[in-house]
Amino acid sequence: MTEVNLGEEIVFWISGGLAVLGALGMILSKKAVHSALWVALTMINLAILYIANSAPFLGMVQVIVYTGAVMMLFLFVLMVVGVDSSDSLIETLKGQRLVSIVLAIGLAILLIAGVGAGLTDVVPVGLEEANGVDGGNVEGIARLLFTDYLIAFEVTSALLITAALGAMVLAHRERWLPRASQAELSRSRFLGAGHPGNLPSSGTYARHNAVDTPALLPDGSPSELSIPGPLVARGDVRPIDHHDVDQIESLGGGTK
Amino acid sequence: MNILAAVGIEVPFTLPIVDYNAIAPLLILLGAGVVSVLVEAMLPRGSRRFIQLFIVFGALVAALAWIFTITGVRVITAEGAIAIDGPALVMQGAILVLAILGALLMAERSIDPSGDAFAARASALPGSEDEKQFTARGYLQTEVWPLFLFAVSGMVLFVSANDLLLMFVALEVMSLPLYLLAGMARRRRLLSQEAALKYFLLGAFSSAFFIYGVALVYGYAASTQLPAIASVLTAKPGQTSLALIGMALILVGLLFKVAAVPFHQWTPDVYQGAPTAVTGFMAATVKIAAFGALMRVLYVAFGGMRWDWVPMMWIIAILTMLVGSIIAISQSDIKRMLAYSSIAQAGFILVGVIAASPAGLAGALFYLIAYGFTTIGAFAVISMVRDESGEATNLSKWAGLGRKSPFVGSVFALFMLALAGIPLTSGFIGKFSVFAAAIASGDTWLVIVAVVASIIAAFFYVRVIVVMFFTEPGPQTASVEVPSVFTTIALAAGATVTLVLGILPQPVLELVSNADLFIR
Repeated sequence: MTEVNLGEEIVFWISGGLAVLGALGMILSKKAVHSALWVALTMINLAILYIANSAPFLGMVQVIVYTGAVMMLFLFVLMVVGVDSSDSLIETLKGQRLVSIVLAIGLAILLIAGVGAGLTDVVPVGLEEANGVDGGNVEGIARLLFTDYLIAFEVTSALLITAALGAMVLAHRERWLPRASQAELSRSRFLGAGHPGNLPSSGTYARHNAVDTPALLPDGSPSELSIPGPLVARGDVRPIDHHDVDQIESLGGGTK
Repeated sequence: MNILAAVGIEVPFTLPIVDYNAIAPLLILLGAGVVSVLVEAMLPRGSRRFIQLFIVFGALVAALAWIFTITGVRVITAEGAIAIDGPALVMQGAILVLAILGALLMAERSIDPSGDAFAARASALPGSEDEKQFTARGYLQTEVWPLFLFAVSGMVLFVSANDLLLMFVALEVMSLPLYLLAGMARRRRLLSQEAALKYFLLGAFSSAFFIYGVALVYGYAASTQLPAIASVLTAKPGQTSLALIGMALILVGLLFKVAAVPFHQWTPDVYQGAPTAVTGFMAATVKIAAFGALMRVLYVAFGGMRWDWVPMMWIIAILTMLVGSIIAISQSDIKRMLAYSSIAQAGFILVGVIAASPAGLAGALFYLIAYGFTTIGAFAVISMVRDESGEATNLSKWAGLGRKSPFVGSVFALFMLALAGIPLTSGFIGKFSVFAAAIASGDTWLVIVAVVASIIAAFFYVRVIVVMFFTEPGPQTASVEVPSVFTTIALAAGATVTLVLGILPQPVLELVSNADLFIR
């Protein structure tokens, strides 16, 4: 068991390196979506390492739950909320970044040295027993969940209930007015400041027809109404390429 | 237990043995929490408050009554995960009594003209039309009650967890509802939400330290159960570096919860921003729960490494006492001042923890109980002192308050004297018992520092009394609102216990000394 074969070593160095790379990328990217994707990379590589260490159940759960569910949910939320999500990088406390980097490096050195010293000359034992007693890794974990960690497993449900309740309390909007009927909505659209009909659709051109392309008003200026609000807020509206417009107009032989 | 066998299902492993009698208080609270969530989901808005109060007080009283029937139980159950022993029962009882007082404060509805201490709807943006409408319609956020019950269940489990993994789960069950409750104040909502966010982020960090420590200790001992860790420590005393780092990281997580320096940064902001009722509840009960877990970990699992953790804890205790006392002097907000005071008090309790003797354990338990009642009473008074914008927490608004409302002023003065540790109050007996225990264990220098810190701390406690009684009330002096029976009971209980424990401490002193030690 103490032998680490060549294949395992190769897997470790590749997956371990990618996991660290993902973690660094997560911290260093400025856009939240990029960070989320970097985390997915880290998670998948950790899963590979778990599986390489004879913990297939943990590895699969890691992929299904973290990479599959949590990270994708996170991405959905980012996409839905969408609005400018890059971080402000202004230090509010002077010198805080420097001090925290120094302290973080200090802690890392301490932990690496300590754990390293603690693990030299240690003979790993018990992996076969742990996975073998109940006829497999999954069975072993199942037994632990229903024996030694029964209470911990059950009490975790209180944690999940709290999380669900908390999400409802903080985010669920109740309405204090009855929902407006179709007729009321339509009346208010025509009488009030709203747009009476459908909003104009996005621009459809020879080269671009995606939702980020604004429709052009008769005077050639882009129509704000033709672009979804979140895209405007995120600054993802495609600017009008006047060179293109000119070119197309000249091809059609139209006059300016 | 044999249901499965009775219906002919063969179980391929031995089923765990759980002493349901010993953990019944926990099960009552968790069950009540679940019922309380169902009430939120199913009943109409108008009837919820009454039913929730019925469930909460019913569950707390039932759990407390059950504890009185199992006072003699000393058992490690659920396959070694839970230890119900003397200190655990004392702390569970204290947490439940203080939780009843905390619930009374949270149930108060007559002090604030627009409702209880919580935002009408926490989801409505501060200052929005929605918020105005919900407040005007008298909506109440009754979801605070299930959250409260889960927080209390977490604490009750935290002091009896005998397994590091279960202790981690209990820590989260206790903390998560508190993060939420801290952010739901009815007034000064942005401050409250900022407090909740800070508490959540820093709390998540400290939990990460704790669980990393657990992993390293598991790597050392191949078990997460505290007695098993202790026996591995005796079996191979040489190579302890993994256990040492693991222990240090676990302590970071626990010392964060007791608000010891340098892990105290969250305390002032959270104490100030959270609704006062929640602050009082949290200050009193979380301290007990966190110290309970801290002592169990230090004594049961790492008792064999005493010479490794004592120097570290010395430094932390000294820093905690001094930083808490000195920074409290410069505070002008009474809730912030009490936050720094709670930091200093954590330092004094740590002195008893460091003594690591039966007397030290008993002293720390007594101190925690005395501090809990005094603190909850003090925050009850703060919730009553108001001006037109809500609670008047600035000290300048308290000038002359004692002359304007002599009775409430005197009660608050009593709490201040108790926190300062003046004789004839519970605080004096508490300080005396931990300091005596520390001297008996040879930590004389630590006690000298503690006494100096007490003198510094006495300065700002007495200053509040001076401000209240020796200045003329002016136009900006806040007024004391007349509370309903809820706050009155909590306040009366806090004041009575503070006084009685100062004059007749013997019954409680006997209770904590007869609690024996943690079982292994």
